[in-house]
Amino acid sequence: MVENAWGWLIVTYLFLAGAGAGAFVAAVACDLLAPDWSKTLAQAGSLAAGPLVAVGTVCLVLDLEAGLWQPWRQIYLVSNLSSGITWGVIVLSLFIPVAFLYAAALNEITAVGRYLKKYVWHLEVVGSLLAVSTAAYTGILIAVVNGVPFWNTPLMPVLFMASAMSTGLAVAMIGAAIIDITTIRTLSNFALGHIIFLAVEALVLILFVFMSLTRSVEAAISANMLISGVLSPYFWVLVVILGILVPFALSFVEYYEYGAMPKYLVVGADLLVLVGGMSLRALIILSASPPQVV
Amino acid sequence: MSRYGLAIDTTKCIGCHACQVACQNQNGLDVNQQFNWILERERGKSPSFDHEFIPVQCNHCESAPCQRVCPTAAIYTTPEGIVSVHPERCVGCKYCIEACPYKVRTVDHHRGIVTKCWLCIDLVRNGGEPACVTTCPNQVRVFGDLDDPQSRLSEFIAEHRAQPLRADLNTRPRIYYKRS
Repeated sequence: MVENAWGWLIVTYLFLAGAGAGAFVAAVACDLLAPDWSKTLAQAGSLAAGPLVAVGTVCLVLDLEAGLWQPWRQIYLVSNLSSGITWGVIVLSLFIPVAFLYAAALNEITAVGRYLKKYVWHLEVVGSLLAVSTAAYTGILIAVVNGVPFWNTPLMPVLFMASAMSTGLAVAMIGAAIIDITTIRTLSNFALGHIIFLAVEALVLILFVFMSLTRSVEAAISANMLISGVLSPYFWVLVVILGILVPFALSFVEYYEYGAMPKYLVVGADLLVLVGGMSLRALIILSASPPQVV
Repeated sequence: MSRYGLAIDTTKCIGCHACQVACQNQNGLDVNQQFNWILERERGKSPSFDHEFIPVQCNHCESAPCQRVCPTAAIYTTPEGIVSVHPERCVGCKYCIEACPYKVRTVDHHRGIVTKCWLCIDLVRNGGEPACVTTCPNQVRVFGDLDDPQSRLSEFIAEHRAQPLRADLNTRPRIYYKRS
């Protein structure tokens, strides 16, 4: 019996799509709320969003079989509006071009970008809606299947959304540090974003795991795999300690010791958020256990 | 129109796997690929242990989760009530495998599609019965028309109060089990 059909390509897609969507939202938030001093962050977020989601989508396509060898079959992917994947294909096909156009417009890249400059606000509104849809959809995709009881909860999209926002902010902050290392001081302002998103993520994760323990026998099997079973070292070390607690503490210090934190710790905290986001998705996919049918 | 289904009497199953091999031959499957499985379970307590063999295959659910989630609409239900796959539409995304609570779908890596039991509809349309049914040395499976109250299948279900596996999942399977 085939119990786990999805593997690392899908995990990578879930992570990259979430991080890309989050980076887009971070860029829009910076551009709208503080265009004067957070320019680099908006720049980095907008430049990262499109490519991340596009690479994620490539992973999704690589996971196909007949649809990969005979790509024209992919035209059928929009045939069934009751399927999460059909909606995902529609959202991704709209979001990827909008994200690239936004990057071009915000950074005035090429003639298209210069022309679109006056429509930046429109791209921000439409793009943000699509980015939120992309981030939520990665959670909804796996939440709506009753073949894996562990995933089958409305908390799943909330968890993925919180993780998407924190990984997206991390991507934008790392990008900003790469573009201009002197902005690292002003990044301290955004540590508040990490504090909020990581706190929400931790809260939803606690709810998710504890509720899974009592929700059904199968969900409890998966949850136990994470907290005390074969996957527990990865869960506690990569997701809880390195992915949430350490970056949370670092962001806290960063925010209150404005600009005083060494730059490798600022970027380190962001890298840890990414490690945590990827590990979270991997563990949720790998801990899937099917309904007990007999 | 008929609405085909199966009843499976696990009290008769001896776990010989003849149904699985017959199915592999009938459908030209690879050695490591199958459309039906035999699950095993111990039950009861000492000194009267019972080792139950439970053959499982596609349940041909009336409200099939695989059909609902298939983005390419490759999964359809035939007029006879058999859940089937359009091989030329399937892209191999494997969402149906994740959605199926019974985990009875499998990837055909040669064709790059997801495939499964189709109740040997080619044999059935020519007046025969599925290979797993005719091969079983203990007549564990009863094939027939669920809509015909006079069919052997309907009578078997009524007589033994056979139930689908995990009816609580509301997929309305067309395979019924007599387990005691």
